[in-house]
Amino acid sequence: MTEPIRPGAGEAPARLTSGVRRSVFVRTLALQASWNHQRMQNLGLLVCLMPWLRDRERDADRDRLFCRRYYEFFNTNPYLAGYVIGGLLRLEHEREGAGGLPRGQSQIFRDSLARALASLGDQLFWLGLRPAAALLGCALALTGRPWPVVGLGLAAAIGQLVWRWRSLGRGYAAGYDIVSLLGDARWHRAIAGAKRAVRVLAGLSAGWLLRHAWEGSDQVGTTPWAFLAVVLGAMALPVLVRRRWAGEFMVLATGLAALLLAFALGPKGS
Amino acid sequence: MTAIDLMGGFTGAHWALVGWLSLLSGLLALDETALAQTWLSQPLCAATLAGLLCGHPALGLAIGLPLQLALVMNLPVGQTVTGEASAAAVAAVGGTVLAGKVPAALGGFHGLTAGAPRGDLALTGWLLLGAALWSLGGHPLVQAQRRLHLIWMLQGRRTLRDGNLVRIERIQGRCLAATLVRGAIYGAAGVLAVAGLWVPLYGVLPAGVRGAMAWVPILASALGIGAVLERYGVARHWRWVGAGVVAGWSLGVLT
Repeated sequence: MTEPIRPGAGEAPARLTSGVRRSVFVRTLALQASWNHQRMQNLGLLVCLMPWLRDRERDADRDRLFCRRYYEFFNTNPYLAGYVIGGLLRLEHEREGAGGLPRGQSQIFRDSLARALASLGDQLFWLGLRPAAALLGCALALTGRPWPVVGLGLAAAIGQLVWRWRSLGRGYAAGYDIVSLLGDARWHRAIAGAKRAVRVLAGLSAGWLLRHAWEGSDQVGTTPWAFLAVVLGAMALPVLVRRRWAGEFMVLATGLAALLLAFALGPKGS
Repeated sequence: MTAIDLMGGFTGAHWALVGWLSLLSGLLALDETALAQTWLSQPLCAATLAGLLCGHPALGLAIGLPLQLALVMNLPVGQTVTGEASAAAVAAVGGTVLAGKVPAALGGFHGLTAGAPRGDLALTGWLLLGAALWSLGGHPLVQAQRRLHLIWMLQGRRTLRDGNLVRIERIQGRCLAATLVRGAIYGAAGVLAVAGLWVPLYGVLPAGVRGAMAWVPILASALGIGAVLERYGVARHWRWVGAGVVAGWSLGVLT
């Protein structure tokens, strides 16, 4: 069995001062606030790094060079950005008084880490945890009570805030060693687990919907078998054509399909 | 009742509710991309929060659940449409309350859960169509704001010459404020459009068309679930999906 990777272990742990860490953390939450098509999160990244810079004595020349280093293209997953930001601050700290971090060095570290974390974050958060939370929320909504849904939303919010706080500290503690963190097998186990949860919860929603299609066919004025067949057909459509559309377009398309179906299958109307 | 009649009949309390819903919509717009990105801005949670704010949480769930299922695969990975789903959810719930259509008229097949009364599924479908249209209408606004961010970001390049950090922080603050204002205005406009136009329009639809709308929540939910199954490989992982289907069917029997 392999030991879990702990970047920076064995040395005295490096830490950001609590004031700077708090301030950087709050700003990491708004990393995407100024997202733009040309350089994406560049302005957000620079704003995140500024509390560290402001903690030093003012030097217009150094500030200018610092801004130049970080005003270039930057894009990563916002939930994992703390690792890159923490790591960059550590590298800046280590080169403080030695002319700052060379531009090329910061660029290579930033770009390679941001790319790798964007890919991991897409898999873990956007394609794993977020759809799983959405479908779990739907399952909780079936109880007919609002508080479980709001409770899940708050729990997810607090969970990701804790995650982001810790990732900032770990990124700073690791510095260059953060690259080894990416090889940790736990990332892939978490991704697989989240996707499995999505499959089970999608199945659960499908089963519940089919059951109510069976029971509620009178609401659309048709027979249970016809209603069940139409609902099954709608579920199978994206799988058969191997395509997904934006949800809004699907809702609008169902409006047209509903008119056709109502006239073909349901004589009762409302 | 026309939109002007309806708004003429608004009391201070109605306008206060529009204000609160507008603020909620602005905060959720921030949460969607600009700030924190928690799960609270997802359509189900947004509609539930709007329902709680209006004092009709069941209405929030009735609209939020099918909307969430339909939009569950709207992921920010390779996304081509960036709608205003949270503002649309708030508008659908708030506008319906202001139009005086709750709670008895709603519930639909979702109202079958937890002993809630069976309501007008067709109105739920009509509101879902309205929410989808309003969300799509937000796409050009979001894109316009991103182009504005680019202009502001390019203005910030002056700091690379003079080292003025405050300028950069102000631009970031301006972007956050623009998102809040965009969400608040779009949400309030949506609430008024649903209350003054969309819900009254439902009343004048031919009976056949109105009845057809009852299919929309179910079909939209089914298509949304189908999109998830397609993305996550139902053929390869049928055991996990199958276990879920059995659990869901059993849950349907119990509720």
